[in-house]
Amino acid sequence: MSRILDHPILGSLDNRERISFRFDGVTYEAYKNETIAAALLANGIRKLRVHEDSGTPRGIYCNIGHCLECRVTVNNQKNVRACLTTVEKDMIVESGKQHPNIVRGMVEKQWLM
Amino acid sequence: MPNKESIVICRCEEVTYGQLLSTANEHKCTARELKLRTRAGMGFCSGRTCRLTLDRIIESVIPNVSSSKIPLKYQPPIRPVTFGTVGENQ
Repeated sequence: MSRILDHPILGSLDNRERISFRFDGVTYEAYKNETIAAALLANGIRKLRVHEDSGTPRGIYCNIGHCLECRVTVNNQKNVRACLTTVEKDMIVESGKQHPNIVRGMVEKQWLM
Repeated sequence: MPNKESIVICRCEEVTYGQLLSTANEHKCTARELKLRTRAGMGFCSGRTCRLTLDRIIESVIPNVSSSKIPLKYQPPIRPVTFGTVGENQ
């Protein structure tokens, strides 16, 4: 994944300030005023979370804050939209994980018995 | 392109086009009933992404149905907010 080196509005990439942040325990580099989703995409990461129930991967979908598909945990604040939140220095971002489904577990046990 | 039936319409509750279409064909119901039967539109984004598709599926399955008859509701809060936002804690 690469970035636009010379943007007509944002200017040259060389002139922009670099910051580092963490995503799932790994440190990545971002540019200031970039969104979390954009910074991760530039670092080659497209999977931002998994579906809470089924565990299938999710990433950027609408990228305008409408669909809430890109929600991540930012500095322990849950359900933050990665596509709207600008990345800050030393920000700790965690991807969304699959939740245990107690009812399904019980149903499956019943079927096995 | 993958099979049309396997396209996910409601991404929050992971409901596919095939599931919605077979439910609509089986029950010949309103968009609201389709929502309640499949959970499409009941997820985190509260149907902001799939609402129109649900209406269109019902319109295609049942001719002459007006989606305004028993519509999918719009109700506050319009977008998901934390309890902290509506309570005292920010």
